Amino acid sequence: MKWILKAQERGAKLIVVDPRFTQTATKADVYASMRSGTDIPFLGGMIKYILDNNLIFKEYVIKYTNASFLVNPDYKGPGELDGLFSGYDEKTRKYDKKTWSFQMDENGVPKKDPSLKDPHCVYQLMKKHYSRYTLDKVSGITGTPKDKLEEVYKLYASTGKPNKAGTELYAMGWTQHTVGTQNIRAMCIIQLLLGNMGIAGGGINALRGEGNVQGSTDHGLLFHILPGYLATPTASIATLPAYIEKYTPKTKEPKSVNWWSNRGKYITSYLKAIYGSRATKENDFGYAWMPKLDEGMNASWLMIFDQMFKGKFEGFFAWGQNPACSGANSNKTRQALAKLKWMVNVNLYDNETGSFWKGPGMNPKDIQTEVFLLPCASSVEKEGSLSNSGRWVQWRYKAIEPIGQSKPDAEIANELYFRVKSLYQKEGGKFPAPILNITWNYGEKDAQGKIHEINVHNIAKEINGYYLEDVYDKTATPPKLLGKKGELCASFVYLQADGTTSSGCWIYSQSYTQKEGKIINMMARRGKDDPTGLGLFSGWAWAWPVNRRIIYNRASVDPNGNPWDPKRALLKWDPVKEDPASKKPGTWVGDIPDGPAPPMATEKGKLPFIMMATGVGHLFGPGMAEGPFPEHYEALECPLEENMLSKQRINPTIKIFGDEAGAVFSCDMRYPLVATTYRVSEHWQTGVMTRHEPWLLEMQPQMFVEMSEELAKEKNIKNGEKVMVKSGRGELWAIAIVTTRFKPFKIGNSTVHQVGLPWHFGWQYPVDGSGGDSANLLTPTVGDANTMIPESKAFMVNVVKITGGRT
Amino acid sequence: MTTITQPPQKAVLVDLTRCIGCRSCQVACKSWNERSVKKTVNQGVYTNPPKLNSDTYTRIEFLEGASGQAPAWHFIKDQCMHCDDPACVSACPVGAFKKLPNGPVNYDYDKCIGCRYCMIACPFQVPKYEWEKRIFPWVRKCTFCSDRQADNLTPACIKICPTKTMFFGNKEEVLAEAKKRLAEHPGKYVNYVYGEKEAGGTSWMYIAAVPFEQLGFNMNIPAKKLPENTWAMLREIPFKVVGFVTALSLIAVFRNRGSNPDAESTHKEEN
Amino acid sequence: MTFLEGVKKSFETKGMRLLLLLVSLGIVATLLRMFKGLGAVTNLTDEYPWGLWVAVDVFSGVALAAGGFTITAAVYIFNMKKYKPITRPAILTAFIGYSIVVVGLAIDIGKPFSAWHPMVYWNYRSVMFEVVMCITLYTTVLLFEFAPAFLERVKWHGALKVIKKITYPLVIAGIVLSFLHQSSLGGFYLIAPAKLNHLWWTPNLPYMFYLSAIAAGLAMVAFEGIVSTRGLKRESETEIVQGLGRGTRIALLVYLIAKIADMSYRGNWPLLLDWNKASFFWSAEILIGVLIPIALFSMKSVKESENGQLMASTLVIIGVVFNRFNMTFFTQAGSGTFYFPSIWEIFVTLGLLSAIVMFYRLAVMHLPVFHEGPLNR
Repeated sequence: MKWILKAQERGAKLIVVDPRFTQTATKADVYASMRSGTDIPFLGGMIKYILDNNLIFKEYVIKYTNASFLVNPDYKGPGELDGLFSGYDEKTRKYDKKTWSFQMDENGVPKKDPSLKDPHCVYQLMKKHYSRYTLDKVSGITGTPKDKLEEVYKLYASTGKPNKAGTELYAMGWTQHTVGTQNIRAMCIIQLLLGNMGIAGGGINALRGEGNVQGSTDHGLLFHILPGYLATPTASIATLPAYIEKYTPKTKEPKSVNWWSNRGKYITSYLKAIYGSRATKENDFGYAWMPKLDEGMNASWLMIFDQMFKGKFEGFFAWGQNPACSGANSNKTRQALAKLKWMVNVNLYDNETGSFWKGPGMNPKDIQTEVFLLPCASSVEKEGSLSNSGRWVQWRYKAIEPIGQSKPDAEIANELYFRVKSLYQKEGGKFPAPILNITWNYGEKDAQGKIHEINVHNIAKEINGYYLEDVYDKTATPPKLLGKKGELCASFVYLQADGTTSSGCWIYSQSYTQKEGKIINMMARRGKDDPTGLGLFSGWAWAWPVNRRIIYNRASVDPNGNPWDPKRALLKWDPVKEDPASKKPGTWVGDIPDGPAPPMATEKGKLPFIMMATGVGHLFGPGMAEGPFPEHYEALECPLEENMLSKQRINPTIKIFGDEAGAVFSCDMRYPLVATTYRVSEHWQTGVMTRHEPWLLEMQPQMFVEMSEELAKEKNIKNGEKVMVKSGRGELWAIAIVTTRFKPFKIGNSTVHQVGLPWHFGWQYPVDGSGGDSANLLTPTVGDANTMIPESKAFMVNVVKITGGRT
Repeated sequence: MTTITQPPQKAVLVDLTRCIGCRSCQVACKSWNERSVKKTVNQGVYTNPPKLNSDTYTRIEFLEGASGQAPAWHFIKDQCMHCDDPACVSACPVGAFKKLPNGPVNYDYDKCIGCRYCMIACPFQVPKYEWEKRIFPWVRKCTFCSDRQADNLTPACIKICPTKTMFFGNKEEVLAEAKKRLAEHPGKYVNYVYGEKEAGGTSWMYIAAVPFEQLGFNMNIPAKKLPENTWAMLREIPFKVVGFVTALSLIAVFRNRGSNPDAESTHKEEN
Repeated sequence: MTFLEGVKKSFETKGMRLLLLLVSLGIVATLLRMFKGLGAVTNLTDEYPWGLWVAVDVFSGVALAAGGFTITAAVYIFNMKKYKPITRPAILTAFIGYSIVVVGLAIDIGKPFSAWHPMVYWNYRSVMFEVVMCITLYTTVLLFEFAPAFLERVKWHGALKVIKKITYPLVIAGIVLSFLHQSSLGGFYLIAPAKLNHLWWTPNLPYMFYLSAIAAGLAMVAFEGIVSTRGLKRESETEIVQGLGRGTRIALLVYLIAKIADMSYRGNWPLLLDWNKASFFWSAEILIGVLIPIALFSMKSVKESENGQLMASTLVIIGVVFNRFNMTFFTQAGSGTFYFPSIWEIFVTLGLLSAIVMFYRLAVMHLPVFHEGPLNR
């Protein structure tokens, strides 16, 4: 917040859009309230405003986005199909995306209309799509007054000028919806239209709920990705070449860098890191030992607990998490845990998950689950790196030794590995190879080959990667030595597809590197210089990729390499200065450029969006499950019987869990209030750590529900009174906070009330239960169509007095 | 003989427009002063504990916007004001409270007898008592981190604040900073520095965006230094003693001339 | 019988047994306070750090023990011989009263075992310091002023002679010390102009306290004069009582005039129209403690009736206690919370008050309080 305040001191304006007037809102220049789950209309209205008033950054949009691309004339949008896009299959609830494609010219490159007038060009289709998001409609859906909408649109759209920058910060309020990814997409479109991507002070900035969640996705902790955002292979892709073929995008656009075309180098280097010398060209570098997903298999969180609920799991590691409180539909989760044979709870404290069997509504006699608690160390009791939302990977040190018998996660994993490996060696098993063949060089080995103490630096180095042989650039004459055998890779640029390099996570290559023989932990650097004055601090820690602080920064310059805003020169092409690599005149100054290629207008120049096969930013995004343009659908549980924009009330591609535990209650008289969840400064996540911290618990001792004065009056609820909050899935008590910071929404012709709850509490601690329980007892089992993130930010509840009285 | 220059008096400007109610200050203070907690309940506000107490030297009060009005939320930091001429310092019979030259008003447990007159004297209701302690009960309040200041460190709450709500410096520069902000951003602030005049001036001063009465500040604290009220009475004592003794002696002599009360007392008394 | 046997015999009455019981309860409560701490035993809080013990045991106790200096002034300075017979009872009341105040103070402070600190650590800018010193010195003076009664009983004539020689210095010291601390008790609240309602608060608070203390002292002497006369079945001292009544009336009138003048000069009358707790309590206090007693003391029927005098004096006493109570509580009332003493606080106060009565009775029964010279029993 201090940087936001500093920006305001320099004239920046802060806009806060939130169903509730928050602490941040007290500092806002403009505050707009909005009903939870209506972000797409809000943003769609802004897109319409920008297009109607000609506020786009024209040159940027034409040159750096697919606005000018011509779309397949068979494509139809929700305006024509009453809420659907072309290609929908009602039975499978999926789209056939054939029509979501571009018209190709004879070279296999999308046809374009730089004048943006062709009715099939993306720009016109987008204009048509968002023409339906009029101020009246948007105000009617969101509950935001029209004048407030205009105020926000006008202010934000003013950043479309070359010398202005606008940035956006969001968190779970955008992601935890059935349309979560489309919420983000909508803002991406706005930022592209205004030329705010790839510039200083621009971009889309995810605020994190956890300090290292960026690291968790970087290193592939989600089911569908391997480290470095490589796709998890499915069983039907039987060989490595097939995998590389499937996942390497191809483009015929000569100016597109299409960096993912290097996919083969990264997956191969990854396999070499995992299986070491046992991975050879002959055995497909061990590809066969990789775990694979079944075709179409979704192993996301909601699915795991759904299957667990159906008795399909024997065992479960709750590693550094508290699913009994953090997962949507806590009752289902808790009952699912009861179906397990065993569970390992790796945590600093016992929690609602480890002790689920003695929780409210549980009969321990009926539960057969054996629970193990492995105490683990906190982040200050171990060394390692944390990755923030800006992709800065910062090395941290151990402040104190782990207390008692607790161990860092790496040590626990280490112990598990050796025991599991030993069991496979002794008893065999269905498929021992994946375990027996992995390398495990994370510390000094004893005579039996066991590691007793993990050295995290070894892990970091493996992630960075090594040259396994002397590696040459064979395109040069004579072949140029890129790296010596046994040395740490200089960056992913030098990774090879032939098994001569290894890297545990290609985007982290350069994080722990070697220069002229000297080994450098780049993540531990603490340089405070900032020559551009833009807050890059390129010498502080290390950012992936290759310490590029702002990605797609080639979009911050015009096609000739001059910054759009000379006062905020993130990059600039200096045609005279000698390039350190090529030793020829002409190089970029400022941030690490997105590829060393010269400016786009030159012969060898490249487009800025190097990770996109097309090389440009996508206004029309055919990769999404529910549509190439964000379209408003109501939350699965919502107060409206109809979507005011179309006949499609809900996202047509979300998975519906049709069973009783997945029941939803829309427009149900019993649950007439919109509810959302959020956080407080004093507690963190499910509160396992913070509820045990007396100073914090003293400040926020109990579960509460915030509601408007109008709603409280209707229900005769007084401030500070204990009330029950109920949904179709569960109920819990909460202390009522009656406030002006929630106000009823005028939605269409009705008044819709919204309430909000924090999700930090759990029955297990304080042990007298005085803290309350988790808000997730109320949330539904439904997730985003692309990511399956649960829709915890918009669902329906009721609030009632405990002492009886009218509901 | 060397002249000892007094250290300049330190002061703090609390710019309430910058506070975001994160309560890092409340926790940092507890951490530095090794305070404990009291059992609390949510009373319909984020504020907790409801008042300063022997374990809580500073706290943020969350004030909701007025009923029926546009949404608003105010965050007010509450702690000892470290008055220039503190009522508690003058009130304490054994001098357990002292105003240090560099600003902090400090408590010496060893001298304290637990009479709690300081709690009566303080116009800001600051000193709190350790009622639950059987032996060695202390009077507790913010120390202005005098121990940290002695090592040239910034007080804990000021250091930890992420938004630089508190401006710490010498009293003149702090007051000047307050006036500067009021002058440079007239629309942003109410034109008043709370603590400039109250109780004769305090080390902790506030500026805010809404009138101080609305934020719960006591506007009835006179500008006259509170100890002057009691000192006015006390300093007359030598004169009163002399005067009274003289007067009584004269009257006694005058009234008793010609009689011997002592001699009479041994006889049977008259009724 | 011996002295001790005599004392034991004194407890054979129901009244004395009741007093002994109350005193014992007070001792139990005190021990509880010592072992469990103030928080466990009292209802004192951060919002109400001064409660029943301070308001009654300390503030009211000192006011009601003002008989000591008023009567000694009357007799020794102003040579009003009529009041000689009540000199010793008045000094006794004062001596026991102040001693109990000191005990009450020691029970109330958070660190009783540090009670000696003010003797060593001096803060001469503190009203509490001045009051503690004065009270300590004055109690010593009272000890010496009362000593003759004891010395006569034990027949230590040498010491008796020495003390008799310094009677006047003692009396003057006593009057001056009393003036200082009676008014300083008012001075306590000078520090809180922002907290104490200005129906009471004025820079002249010390003078208000002093004047009301005079009235209180005289009324108290009359009260226990009448009560003990009846209790010990002695003949009434009608003239003395009437004289005391006249004195009380004058003192009350002076107080009333001073109060009116002060309220007018400071423009505080509008505060009465606030119709809040403060204005009601203030009005009741003035009514009960000042206006009605003045009226009563002016009525012939009252003047000539011992019961009337008793009632009027009682009202004055109630009024003064009420006044001290009001100031203590209204200084703290700004917090908006509620305080009511706990049962242990009440036991301690009852115990202390009972101790005063009990020791008074023991003293008058076994020491030459009412008669100078050997005891005639």
